[in-house]
Amino acid sequence: MTTSQPPVDVAAVPPAPPEDAPRTMGRFNIWDTPWFNARLMTGVGIITAILLMGVVGQFFWDVGMATERDRTARFAPPVGFTNFRGEPGSWAHPLGTNNLGHDMLAVALVGAPNTFLIGFIAATIGLGVGIVLGFTGGFLGGWIDDFIRLISDVTLTIPALMVLIVLNSVLDRISITTMALIIAAFAWPRATRQIRSQVLTMRESGYVQMARLSGASTFGIMFKEMLPNLIPYLFASFIAGATGAILAAVGLETLGLGPQNVPTLGGTIYDAYRGSALSANFWWWWGIPTVLLAVMFVGLLLVNLGLDEIANPRLRGRK
Amino acid sequence: MGKIPRSYLLRRLGIFFLTIWFAATIIFIIPRLAPGDPISAMVGDMTQAGGDVENSQAIIEGWRARFGLDKSLPEQYVRYLGNLLTLDFGYSINAFPTPVGEVIARALPWTLSLLLLAMVLTFAIGNFLGAILMWRYTPRLVKMFIPVTMVFTSIPSVLAALFLLYNFAYVLGWFPDANAYNVGEVVPGFNLAFIGSVIRHGTLPALAIILVSFGYWTLGMRGMMITVEGEDYMQLARAKGLAPFYVLYRYMIRNAILPQVTAFAITLGTLVSGQVLVEYVFQYPGMGKVIYEAILAQDFPVIQGASFFLITMTALAVLLVDLLYPYIDPRISAGGES
Amino acid sequence: MKVKAIFSVLVVALLAVVSTVALAQDVPREETLIFDFDRTVTDPENYNPFTPAGNTNRGNGAHQAMWEPLFILNYETGEIDPWLGTAMESNEGLDVWTLSIREGVAWSDGEAFNAEDVVFTIEMLLGDETATLSNAADMQQWVESVEAVDDLTVQFNLTGPNPRFQVDFFAVRVVNSILIMPEHIWAGEDPLTYTFFDAEAGLPIGTGPYTLTSSDSTRFMWDRNDDWWGVAAGFEDLPAPSRLIWESVATEDSRVQLISNDEIDVANSVSLVAFEIIQANNPNVIAWENDLPYSWADPCPRQLDINTTIAPWDNANMREALSLIVDREEIVEFAYEGTTQPSSTMFVQYGSMSPFIDAVVEAGYGETPTADVEAAQALIEAEGWTLNGDFYEKDGETLTLNVLVNNASTEYTNTVDVLVEQFVDAGIDAAARPVDNSTFWGAAAPTGDYEVAYGWLSCSSVNEPWASMNRYTTNFLAPVGEPAPGINNTGRWDSEAAEAYTAVVEEIGTLPLGDPAIVDLVVEAYSYIDAETPIIPLVQATKLLPYSTTFWTNWPTAENNFNHPAFWWNSAHQIIHNVEPAS
Repeated sequence: MTTSQPPVDVAAVPPAPPEDAPRTMGRFNIWDTPWFNARLMTGVGIITAILLMGVVGQFFWDVGMATERDRTARFAPPVGFTNFRGEPGSWAHPLGTNNLGHDMLAVALVGAPNTFLIGFIAATIGLGVGIVLGFTGGFLGGWIDDFIRLISDVTLTIPALMVLIVLNSVLDRISITTMALIIAAFAWPRATRQIRSQVLTMRESGYVQMARLSGASTFGIMFKEMLPNLIPYLFASFIAGATGAILAAVGLETLGLGPQNVPTLGGTIYDAYRGSALSANFWWWWGIPTVLLAVMFVGLLLVNLGLDEIANPRLRGRK
Repeated sequence: MGKIPRSYLLRRLGIFFLTIWFAATIIFIIPRLAPGDPISAMVGDMTQAGGDVENSQAIIEGWRARFGLDKSLPEQYVRYLGNLLTLDFGYSINAFPTPVGEVIARALPWTLSLLLLAMVLTFAIGNFLGAILMWRYTPRLVKMFIPVTMVFTSIPSVLAALFLLYNFAYVLGWFPDANAYNVGEVVPGFNLAFIGSVIRHGTLPALAIILVSFGYWTLGMRGMMITVEGEDYMQLARAKGLAPFYVLYRYMIRNAILPQVTAFAITLGTLVSGQVLVEYVFQYPGMGKVIYEAILAQDFPVIQGASFFLITMTALAVLLVDLLYPYIDPRISAGGES
Repeated sequence: MKVKAIFSVLVVALLAVVSTVALAQDVPREETLIFDFDRTVTDPENYNPFTPAGNTNRGNGAHQAMWEPLFILNYETGEIDPWLGTAMESNEGLDVWTLSIREGVAWSDGEAFNAEDVVFTIEMLLGDETATLSNAADMQQWVESVEAVDDLTVQFNLTGPNPRFQVDFFAVRVVNSILIMPEHIWAGEDPLTYTFFDAEAGLPIGTGPYTLTSSDSTRFMWDRNDDWWGVAAGFEDLPAPSRLIWESVATEDSRVQLISNDEIDVANSVSLVAFEIIQANNPNVIAWENDLPYSWADPCPRQLDINTTIAPWDNANMREALSLIVDREEIVEFAYEGTTQPSSTMFVQYGSMSPFIDAVVEAGYGETPTADVEAAQALIEAEGWTLNGDFYEKDGETLTLNVLVNNASTEYTNTVDVLVEQFVDAGIDAAARPVDNSTFWGAAAPTGDYEVAYGWLSCSSVNEPWASMNRYTTNFLAPVGEPAPGINNTGRWDSEAAEAYTAVVEEIGTLPLGDPAIVDLVVEAYSYIDAETPIIPLVQATKLLPYSTTFWTNWPTAENNFNHPAFWWNSAHQIIHNVEPAS
């Protein structure tokens, strides 16, 4: 994962003290669970709103306008504003249009969920691979561990930008899924390394030693004993990974390496800075995707903080 | 090496060299997967610039021969590996007859000074904010303010760069808009005018990088602080009645920062490719721009030379992290052997 | 500790890598002319224009301020303006050319510029066995031998008749010309690796009125040499600017800001919106034209090339249908916002080309600015296709079309977007196929890996028709998948008509420039293009170049047309000599 930001590190998420995890069990009032904390709920609410916007929006607004050019209205400002030519905004394009006459509302409705989707798919794959390889390597050790470490180190060291530019010229069109796969391909080594080190730590803990002494199978120990204890940690890793993947995707899109003919937030910013949007004060062109990104980021951040409260009961009630 | 058994060290070194070899092989293969080849692209560019190029076929053949691109792939690969051993990457295709080493040497100091400095600052600021965010004596107002600043993290670096450029270079005119120093107006060397000029030119690009990336470290540090907070030695320190600042520095930050340092080492590799657009917007003559332009022009020797440099740097950082890990976390023994 | 170590490494590296250059004198802004440079240079310490490194650097002022051309083709008059050369004439057979050099020309180090330098440079190119030096392959193809008749006269003995020998290689026909190098410096150097750069020894040198002061990858500074030969020789006065600067500019936003604030005096091509903003910010900014289209047309008109080997486009009627669907006025309006004009033929619409263009149009082979979709659909239906829903079908297959486009510029992709819409509206399931610059020029275009390609592959002619027409002859045929020589006839046009076309074009190629017989031959050749539609001309190219009159006036404009405004060309000497201080 390379791009303009250093990737969110899975290690950034505090490791879950194993003893804390099963705490939610055995409560009687189902509403009295740490999963219903304010931060988590707000965060989930924000993310859901953005996704819903994309799903529901198409019934109220012609999202096809995100890629169709309105020849009569280019550089149209949002309603209530005028552009540098003195043209006022109109309800035909409530959030204005870009240089080609693409409707910005439609771009927002389609682009935000698209961008989120890329992060979601990439984080799922990255973390999934990370869990399997991290557990395998950390628990089994030996040459398997060495091999896993070798391929993950190789992947870590390859300049991903090079791979992306080449892929861009080999593939005629990059889709949302391809984009997500590309990012996942560079995200898994990090997840693998971090999970492996968690596993190494946990392997020495009392309950794993106990399970081992009682003759549980390797597979059983790994996925029945250790994995459940890591779940809050993995959740947090997932959110951190999704945030990182979204920002990585946006970074690539702003280099012009994103999906073509599909509106994305990063792609919109790329078009904007190539089109003198700053000088011409087309603030809605780069401003709308930026605000959406910020909102999405805040949502994910809140989810992450909320998950921390679940993983770390000490934090509850503290602000 | 007290804690690291020799067998582990050897195995780890083996992985280190294998990593470099594998990665070097991949950077040999990948650019060659792209359609077209650098020579045709170069001649194509000439066509673009000057109408048609008569005799372009003769030119293409001549260049192919000169760069050994007329040889079979295995032959090219063997020659490439040989060059790696001697660190000789030959000549840039796009800027023949400039040696690749010279292209890299010209860009490297700028990248190292600007980006490394920016990253170290980012790391310091980010971790500091993360630490005080979780510290119980931090004023509430500060604790409210820090998460707000983290919204910057969601801004693409190119936009941050353009914004700073537009407002501080063009509108306010406080900082220069391009280059790494006042070319032609100050003499490069160890003198105040030059150093001042370098700092003035580096401020905005560095700021762009810091602004969009410190939040990662803040988040990470916050997480580590939570863990540390729960440790027994913290209770002990507090019970001893040590001064809060002393506890913050000596017990909390010192312990929480170690995993952050490992993460920093791994991030080193993304240092260059990460800030391509910032360098581009500010016309900063660093490595990111060199690599980006080389990839666009399919300049194989430059891509390979620069990538090899990055690979070695990252692999070294990862190696160090692995060798240091047992020292950092006492619960882990080297290589995971119990 | 660590920080200290890193810091000292940095300082040492900085000192080691950055070579010291002479400190420039302060020159007031109003005596400085600042150009926008739209590329960055990999190696600012290479001034050998025959190698790729030096060749990409030459637009940084080297060939506009330091190296002078022998002649400059004047796009506006169609004449060849003399510069270092005073005349270049051929014999009756067009295979012996005699160059006369101006008297009194000198290199900036004081040595005389003479026939020996010309002979040395050409022989250097002839002697390059690798043929990789710029123009070496051209010289090896055309020049049998070259000799100095006397100090100021050079005779070129060609391998065959070539009526365009002077204009193609020595008169800045497009962007470059063969630059003459000083024998007294170059002799004994290996031209393949020589860098011609040594700040301490005062290299590089040229005959031009400016010498290099500092060279960095993003900024180049040149100062006037007040002892320039042109004054004493009575050729030209000293140019007005005491200093010239070429400044790398990355984005259009930067370009807009810099010229708005008068931090540069002339900018590379910008979009119409950007130009409107610049004019609003800085009322002193003008362009080639005072009103739409504002811009100057560069010599590469935009067009579609069709791969004539891929069904159903191997059928001339289907290609004709595509041509009829194209609405050029719509492209001008929606892709260019009115900053260009529709093409009526494959040629660039300069005054010197109009006799040929007019004749072709008169003969009925010209293109109309608007579409005739009904006629196109009739042609498609006659080939057995039927409209089913939105698109045509035949034997259960939908009529599809992929339009290859280089995604390096929004100009290209915008045009193709409009074209795709026109094709889709007419019932063809068309889609753009964007590829990056190196794929387009390095693979897809030369190997014919496309159905239809957007570009300017006929670009070449500026004052005579042969150069462009020659690019579609069957002499360049190569199988699909292998590169077509010179990226010519990439559509693999290969039919009886193409053979007939080739014969006529070859005949044109042997006639001296300006021969009255050429017009009729062009019309005859064009009849084959009209009949088989291997290409579809679209619109003229456009360069909207803003110049600021705050510090400098007398820029080239449509009214003050001493020559075209391409300030990044070897011909820019004329612009630099013409500009005048505003106050």
